[in-house]
Amino acid sequence: MLTMTSSKRRLITFVIIGWVLLLISDRVGPLRLYQGSYVATYTLAVASIILLTGYSGQLSLGHGALMAVGAYAGALAIDKATLNPILGLIVATFVAGLFGLILGFAVARLSGPYLAGTTLALAVALPTLANEFEILGGQQGLPFDVGSSPERFGEEFSQYKWYFWICALAALIMIWWIANLVSGKYGRTYRALRDNPIAAELSGINVGRQKVIAFAISSGAAGLSGGLLVILLGGVSPSAFPLGVSFFLLTGAIITGLYNLKGVILGGLILVALPEIADSLVSRIGESEGLTNSLPDLLVSALLILAVVFTPNGPGQILKRHHSK
Amino acid sequence: MNQFITAVLTSLSTGAIYALMSISLVLVWRSTRVINFAQAGQAVLTTYIGYGIIQKTDSYWIALAAAVIGGAIIGAVIDRFFMRPIFKRITSGPIALIAPVVATLGLLGVIQASIGIIWGISYQSIEAPVSTDGFDVNGQVIAFNRFNLFVLVTVTLTMLLLTILFQKTNIGLALRASAYSPEIAKLSGIKVDAVRTFGWAIAGAASGLAGMLYIPGYYLYPNAMDLLLVFGFIAAVIGGLDSLIGAVVGAMILGFGLSFSRTYISTEILFPTAFILLIVVLLIKPDGIFSAKKKRGA
Amino acid sequence: MNKSIRMKRLSIVSAVVATGAMLLSMLPAQAAQTTGVTSSEIKLGISSPTSGSAGLVYGKVPGAMKAYFDYINANGGVYGRKIKLVAKNDKYTVKGAAASTFDLVYKDNVFALTGALGTATHQAGYKAASLAAENVPDLFVNSGWSGFNDKTAYPTTFMVLPTYAMEAKVMAKVIKDNFPGQATFIVAQNDEFGDDARAGFGAAGHKFTREFFYPQGGMDLATGKTILSAISAVPGKPVVVLFGTGDATVAMLKAAEELKLTKKFTWLAGSVGADANTLLALKVEPETIDGVLTASFMPDAKDSTDTYVKQFMAINTKYNKGVVFDNYVLAAMNSAMLTVQSLRAAGKNLTRDGVIKAIETKGSSFASAGLVPLGYSSTSRIGYNGYWVSQINAKGEGKPFGGKLVIYTTDSGTGAVSVSNFVRPTMPKNGIPTNS
Repeated sequence: MLTMTSSKRRLITFVIIGWVLLLISDRVGPLRLYQGSYVATYTLAVASIILLTGYSGQLSLGHGALMAVGAYAGALAIDKATLNPILGLIVATFVAGLFGLILGFAVARLSGPYLAGTTLALAVALPTLANEFEILGGQQGLPFDVGSSPERFGEEFSQYKWYFWICALAALIMIWWIANLVSGKYGRTYRALRDNPIAAELSGINVGRQKVIAFAISSGAAGLSGGLLVILLGGVSPSAFPLGVSFFLLTGAIITGLYNLKGVILGGLILVALPEIADSLVSRIGESEGLTNSLPDLLVSALLILAVVFTPNGPGQILKRHHSK
Repeated sequence: MNQFITAVLTSLSTGAIYALMSISLVLVWRSTRVINFAQAGQAVLTTYIGYGIIQKTDSYWIALAAAVIGGAIIGAVIDRFFMRPIFKRITSGPIALIAPVVATLGLLGVIQASIGIIWGISYQSIEAPVSTDGFDVNGQVIAFNRFNLFVLVTVTLTMLLLTILFQKTNIGLALRASAYSPEIAKLSGIKVDAVRTFGWAIAGAASGLAGMLYIPGYYLYPNAMDLLLVFGFIAAVIGGLDSLIGAVVGAMILGFGLSFSRTYISTEILFPTAFILLIVVLLIKPDGIFSAKKKRGA
Repeated sequence: MNKSIRMKRLSIVSAVVATGAMLLSMLPAQAAQTTGVTSSEIKLGISSPTSGSAGLVYGKVPGAMKAYFDYINANGGVYGRKIKLVAKNDKYTVKGAAASTFDLVYKDNVFALTGALGTATHQAGYKAASLAAENVPDLFVNSGWSGFNDKTAYPTTFMVLPTYAMEAKVMAKVIKDNFPGQATFIVAQNDEFGDDARAGFGAAGHKFTREFFYPQGGMDLATGKTILSAISAVPGKPVVVLFGTGDATVAMLKAAEELKLTKKFTWLAGSVGADANTLLALKVEPETIDGVLTASFMPDAKDSTDTYVKQFMAINTKYNKGVVFDNYVLAAMNSAMLTVQSLRAAGKNLTRDGVIKAIETKGSSFASAGLVPLGYSSTSRIGYNGYWVSQINAKGEGKPFGGKLVIYTTDSGTGAVSVSNFVRPTMPKNGIPTNS
């Protein structure tokens, strides 16, 4: 057999996952495809948070803003520059990454809570800025049209299957790339950075530079997920990325485990599944206005607390304990 | 001229309320090194309690007292039964810095969702206890009323009380010592845990006050204090998280900045203004205006 | 990693694939019948805000519609079928509307949507749920955005409210005829809601002395005071147009109260945010609303001499207990009545295409409480096309401005505003449609 390096193994795993997803997409209805698209999008967003907060130790509360940057960049590319939607998504990734690079520089000197505060302010400020500029479509925003599937896929290819393909593939490719990144030299660098910055500095790692790079890559991934999200919404607008999005995604990242990319899809699944579970609970307990509106949030927040208290290093922690027994 | 005066007056009123929130956040930070996002939840919870009391007794003042005392109790309970176990469980690793903050985020969600389930999410309102008609100054009605004055006076008094507490009392000294160096404080006999709980209690009281002073101009609903939390946090960061004076100064800077931008630039760029103020300050002083440079500081 | 673990992984993956394929191939084929219609029930869906600042004002809509449907159900339903309304709270956000609308169509499998509320929100919902591709009828949307009258972009949508542009043109005429020479100001949302208004005022040739815009949800006391202090020194009695949602109107009026400027201006409040009942309920003083002008296309909700109002009030008392009857309840029940007539007109063999065709051909003659005509045809999806101007008094009643009821009709473009002689169809007996 050919020598199986871990990166080759990873590639094959991702390809298999992709194939399975494509097969499944043929058999399920629009509801599951729509949910699946959200799972893919959230998983990618969670992965970007894991990279930024888990690996390079920078707590950002502003992921919504980064997603917005990507979404607007992509929308502009497709709408005004009439680019192909796939190119539009690539533009989204790069522009958001560039933005993250600049932002990363600006906040490089800020420590924990100050960084959190700045990203929080950014998260609330950036969407409203979109209102000010005519070209960004104001409050109405811009459409983010990925069109329908290409003709050669045939007539049966539904709109939602097309969304699912785009989201799943984009997420897979980006996450695979990030996984490669953190498993190699960069991964060790980040772990050193996070666990003991002083020692890292002493051993020759340029802490500042690594943090900025992580910020840039994380932002690029966030921007891509932002573009994917607005595909599902039909367009980008200032109200598509409220502050709650950043907290919501951070929750997913904590539940998944901030320090490991393995099982990141769990975060995406939970973020989509929890509101659904809440809905079915509500219909079983009996509708009351307060319950319908607040139960999903209660479940998500409660789960966040449980996760951070009992498995702060991710659910893998529980598994590891079992293994060592 | 009219516009300028209005801008100044609204700056004072809004700045005063931001100050209460930023003071709460700084109090918790100084005693626990945690950003307590749940402060907004505590504030709105105490305000709902106040609302309930107003429904029964028709008295804003009883409700206010209840909110402040209730806030103190709730704050203490959260520290003792929620934060302390968390600190005991998670003592090392990079997660130790993030976990408590994330826990407060979760707590915020739990509190707000619970309020939504118990009280419902429709908007309620609390009437101001004193007149909200603008004062008549030389025939001109200005954008400052008795209620604004009440808020301003209350916040100033609170500031004075807190300063006296921290600078002139033993417990204040204990608070400062435990925040700066828990191990040494413990060695010198200070019950660090109890002191910390006390810090949370005061913060809870301050945010309880903030809620009752803020809501009369707006509506009461589970997420009503979120905006105040964001602005309070930004104000605290601008002033420097380690400084109570910074909290107030930061709040005033933010209040003035927002008011003037709304008056003279546009009514639409509230948040971008806040962000720009913040980033400008942090680019010059990454730890806020009154940042203690890693040395002994009050 | 060694061979056995690798083998394990591959076998797990293939097992998953195989099981999945097996399970999915066992799914039953979809029964070929109209979605959302059974022999006993018709399922309709509504996505609207029932919480938050928008819910404060529009929260009553789903309940009011359901009350009317309950009344019809108790009186034979639609050809024996009972109407079930599934209501989802979209929290007036784009994401909420996208999710709610999608769920209504693909999870709840409704036959049609009715009363979808909001402009940006419904645009998102329409797209996210692929209403066009699925041919889901989108009846009587609660939005005045003229863009919804576009058969290419929104092939299944029918408006009901007159467009904001129409309202703006009527307002412009009122200002010109009654307040010549006064300075004029507008305070509006900085989105398509406000934009449509601007377009209307522009088409009517009206220029404001100064315009103020605020982000949706961003009008509060402080902003209100800022705006008022900027314009309080203007001589005379300027006209201030408040073109926003109810909570924004409340904020502006209360700010004026605190600055004692309520009588300094003539207030012209857009129909969206000027229900007198709501204003009073949100603690605006009666003296403040006394004299406020607004535009409406329905009779005033307090006018119990009007046949439709009286009937809807009775239905509200019996089927919507505890809810105060106001202009929003009136409008919602009216839309529900139009919905029932649409379902009837499509015939006993109810299909989505059938409903759409029915409204196109017969919709303009449906009975409704509106004092202006309905404009449905094979080329137009516009509902009402005009307004009359009312003046609110301290009791919250809206009476015709100038004493006599004058109905204006116009279009969303550059057409003139003309006085109309429209007489509305008599109400069907007991408010129960019998059309076919």
